[in-house]
Amino acid sequence: MTKKRTVKRKVKEPEPTKEQPSVSEQSDNEEDEDLLQAVKDPGEDTTDDEGIDQEYQSDSSEDLEFESDEEGNYLGRKVSNEAEEGEDDQDEDDDEDEDEGEDEDDDSDDDSEESDADDASPTPKDDQSSSSKAAAAQTKEPIIQIIPRDPSKPEYEESDTSDEEDIRNTVGNIPMHWYDEYKHIGYDWDAKKIIKPPKGDQIDDFLRKIEDPNFWRTVKDPMTGQEVLLTDEDIALIKRVNSSRIPNPEHDEYAPWIEWFTSEVEKMPIKNVPDHKRSFLPSVSEKKKVSRMVHALKMGWMKTTEEVEREKQQKRGPKFYMLWETDTGREHMRRIHDPVSAPKRDLPGHAESYNPPPEYLFDEKETKEWLKLKDEPHKRKLHFMPQKYKSLRAVPAYSRYLRERFLRCLDLYLCPRAKRVKLNIDAEYLIPKLPSPRDLQPFPTVESLVYRGHTDLVRSVSVEPKGEYLVSGSDDKTVKIWEIATGRCIRTIETNDVVRCVAWCPNAKLSIIAVATGSRLLLINPKVGDKLLIKKTDDLLAESPNLDVIESERIKTAVQWSNAEPDEQEKGVRVVITHFKPIRQVTWHGRGDYLATVMPEGANRSALIHQLSKRRSQIPFSKSKGLIQCVLFHPVKPCFFVATQHNIRIYDLVKQELIKKLLTNSKWISGMSIHPKGDNLLVSTYDKKMLWFDLDLSTKPYQTMRLHRNAVRSVAFHLRYPLFASGSDDQAVIVSHGMVYNDLLQNPLIVPLKKLQTHEKRDEFGVLDVTWHPVQPWVFSTGADCTIRLYT
Amino acid sequence: MEVENGEGQVQVHLKTKQEQYAVPDVPYAIEGSVSTTELNIFLNALLQSKGAESVDFDFLVFDEYLRGRLCDHLREKAISFEDSIEIEYVERFPAPEPQDCLLHDDWVSAVKASGKWILTGCYDNTLNIWTYKGKHKLTIPGHTAPIKAVDWISLDNENGRFVSTSQDQTAMMWQWNIASNAVECVSVCKGHERGVDSVCVSPDAQRFATGSWDTMLKIWSAELEDAGESTAKRAKESGVRTPRMTLQGHRESISAVQWMDNNTLLTGSWDHTLKVWDLNLEGIKTEISTNKSIFDASYSKLNNLIVTASADKNLRLYDARTNQGSVVRSTYLGHNAWVQTVMWSITEEFLFVSGAYDNQNKLWDCRSPKAPLYDLLGHGEKVLDIDWSNPKYIVSGGADNTVRVFKSSKATVENMETK
Repeated sequence: MTKKRTVKRKVKEPEPTKEQPSVSEQSDNEEDEDLLQAVKDPGEDTTDDEGIDQEYQSDSSEDLEFESDEEGNYLGRKVSNEAEEGEDDQDEDDDEDEDEGEDEDDDSDDDSEESDADDASPTPKDDQSSSSKAAAAQTKEPIIQIIPRDPSKPEYEESDTSDEEDIRNTVGNIPMHWYDEYKHIGYDWDAKKIIKPPKGDQIDDFLRKIEDPNFWRTVKDPMTGQEVLLTDEDIALIKRVNSSRIPNPEHDEYAPWIEWFTSEVEKMPIKNVPDHKRSFLPSVSEKKKVSRMVHALKMGWMKTTEEVEREKQQKRGPKFYMLWETDTGREHMRRIHDPVSAPKRDLPGHAESYNPPPEYLFDEKETKEWLKLKDEPHKRKLHFMPQKYKSLRAVPAYSRYLRERFLRCLDLYLCPRAKRVKLNIDAEYLIPKLPSPRDLQPFPTVESLVYRGHTDLVRSVSVEPKGEYLVSGSDDKTVKIWEIATGRCIRTIETNDVVRCVAWCPNAKLSIIAVATGSRLLLINPKVGDKLLIKKTDDLLAESPNLDVIESERIKTAVQWSNAEPDEQEKGVRVVITHFKPIRQVTWHGRGDYLATVMPEGANRSALIHQLSKRRSQIPFSKSKGLIQCVLFHPVKPCFFVATQHNIRIYDLVKQELIKKLLTNSKWISGMSIHPKGDNLLVSTYDKKMLWFDLDLSTKPYQTMRLHRNAVRSVAFHLRYPLFASGSDDQAVIVSHGMVYNDLLQNPLIVPLKKLQTHEKRDEFGVLDVTWHPVQPWVFSTGADCTIRLYT
Repeated sequence: MEVENGEGQVQVHLKTKQEQYAVPDVPYAIEGSVSTTELNIFLNALLQSKGAESVDFDFLVFDEYLRGRLCDHLREKAISFEDSIEIEYVERFPAPEPQDCLLHDDWVSAVKASGKWILTGCYDNTLNIWTYKGKHKLTIPGHTAPIKAVDWISLDNENGRFVSTSQDQTAMMWQWNIASNAVECVSVCKGHERGVDSVCVSPDAQRFATGSWDTMLKIWSAELEDAGESTAKRAKESGVRTPRMTLQGHRESISAVQWMDNNTLLTGSWDHTLKVWDLNLEGIKTEISTNKSIFDASYSKLNNLIVTASADKNLRLYDARTNQGSVVRSTYLGHNAWVQTVMWSITEEFLFVSGAYDNQNKLWDCRSPKAPLYDLLGHGEKVLDIDWSNPKYIVSGGADNTVRVFKSSKATVENMETK
């Protein structure tokens, strides 16, 4: 509706020529005008102007009502507004408007020749109707345009006159060359063709140029094809525009500046309104936004510019990295990841109490001991003397405070920086899983028999190979032969000296006992067992093979073979081998032809090997490698084991060379025993240890057993059962399972089985010798208590 | 709770195989806590009503001697208190009484009784013959080494024949004229290569077997005239006899030999086996492996069981009828040391005696594995041999140079009568 109304109004304005339209009549012509409008101004956008008008109108609603009542025309309100203003001095206003309008016309429309002459009011109408430009101007001055319309009569009259002259083209704002081919140039208001004015040729032009003094100021209006004569004002304007000056000649460029808004900063606030509360509160939405961004950063959906930059950098260039960590860097990381905590102090105990229980207080002895260690305070069990006070109040100042602080500081300063990894291993787990002794039967478990009869400590015992008899040698200078099954002493053979060692010949075909007594080695026929064998042995020993072997002086001075004296013959002694030093040990070779003796004092002639059949002796070693303790023949190979105090040397008797040297790492070897298969050697030492050597494995002990509480005197392997026994000064005989497997990959299994402790202690000595029964799982032990005991 | 306190009542049936002591088969309710003493009093009270004399009884519950309280016994055997329990009672075997002590010059390693004579072998290489009254009849030197075993071959009123074995590797057969008290060495049996540890004469007195340290078992003729051999002549002249049969099989010393019948021999050895030999086949019939050295073994014809002595203080009971294996029927633990000798009673089915190195003889009932019936004290040293061939006397020799004679009082009456 607003549109229509504006259209109406606009349409009305040019109409006055035809009729004097009253306000009431407007509605009648509405449709026609509409159509006309549509044709005339298809692109006109007057809505803006009118919109503003409307708003303006709605603001002053009272006026509107008043106007509408008065005139019955909605449009009247603006008019009324202006009317109120301008009723008094309407004419003056008009004049002013005209002036201004003229100016504008000059600016906007070059072609309005007649507008100069025309009233100010129709000019704007023309402008509006013919062209849509200068919308801004219109919006600025709607009032001005309208004012002349309302006091309608004089205006219409003026317009009538001007209308006649004015042949307006209605083609609109189109390129006029479209009409170049036609005779007409457009259509006038009445839809009549506007015929092009006759176009003179060049001669005409020339003539006119000559004739017309105003030719230079004559321009052609492209819209109408009419010639327009520019006024002086126009020319002045053009000139001003050409010279880039402000077109309005009245504009004073140099007028004094009026400072409507001061440029100086005021010290005092202009307004005294306090800041709104909102301005102090952080914005919730901002906060939300920030938190969303933070979350995105965290999740990695978003990256900071720094990161983006870095990524770009990485993408761009080659990558470099440290091949080796520096030491300092590692230390740095360790401090972060694996800090060493300060060492903890022990919690105070009862002794630290100011009022300790009486048992914590030192008695005299303890006090003395504590004071005695004055020079070596670190040896004291407590670094202070527990003291009792009646009450906490009575406790004096702590005199050691500074010192303890200092020590604590030292602790912290000197605490080990390396962290010791604590292994949380159950001790049970480390103990090898051994079979139960119950599964390893048979082995001796109880003392069965005691062989009594000796009057001094029994040094040595040996069993007959068949296992019926037993021989023992004692410090009471006797050798006794016992029946094992009953404990009956069958024979006692007196010798002249302490019997250090006895050894029954392992060859069952011979009935000989070798007895080391003093510096003499007696070969005794025990006269037990097979009579035939006894006789054969006697025959064998009776005659000395007269081999003219030239013995070296060295051997001659060391050993002398001789037949026994008649009185000794009666006792059973057959051959006497006199040595130059006391004999400590005698041992047989497995076949019973060779036997070896040890004289610890014999220097480089300590070990001797005697051959029975040839009655010959040899000194295998020319140099002394140490104090020889004992010797041993290998059960199978021609090897000879020599134990000095610390080490064991194994010699090949055929090649006469050292095969191996076993390192015992002990202070004093007391005895040896070799496994019947010959691959394992058991060594007893006076420093409470037993060493198991696997000869194939290493020169160091395969296992070190600390089973005894005192010096181990003797060890022995059983010939048939996987058993070995050891006798010690702690009066115990310990029986162990020592399984050697045929599979070379399997290590020997050693299981201590039974501790048999029935010997009595005498002069710090307990068990002196242990021997196994050759057949039964029985072990014999001799002790300082003058007895031999059998454990079954 | 009742069970715990032993206060519960138990219903019992009293039974016996001895007719003269039979009581009516009526269930009795008795306290669970009763022991042998109370049961004895109770039973005697029952019997006294019949006018019998007071007798001591032993009570067997489920074939085992009652030794403590009845409830304990039942609990151990896991027998319900609810059931009625059958208690068998037997006249208690009377305690053997030490009767005599026969002093020797040396250890007595072998004893054998027959009739009223006791034959002993001594470590001083002599044999001795004693009467039960303790009268020394004869000392027989002859062996050159300690005697290890003796056995009677035959004994009648005029003559006695016996065999002895020694560590001198021989067995000697002797003939003893009782009237003249003269003894003659019939023959010397040579063949063993080491000491002969055991000897036993066959039930028909035709042969005897010896076991030795040379692991051989040899069978010899026990006849006066060893006929039918090529060497008979020479043997007769020299008095030397050679074995009829040599059986090899043991790996160690044979410590025990006993005839099971005329053709079957039982041997026990240090090599942990018992072997039953069939002499017809001249081979091993059965072998029982044990895990201990056997020092003595005894076979009872009455119950076909073998009891063995070994070094681990235990006596073990084996069944001779088992073909293979070593199932120990029961173990009798009572000795404190090496058990050297064991022998079944030849009349009582369940009784045997043992001698050990703890200086004790023990009388066992094989139904009472926990404790012996009686300890026969007296020896001051190791017991080396024990004999119960004469049911009236238990004879043992020991390392205290004595032979102890224990008289079983059951036999006393009869013995007195015979005298």
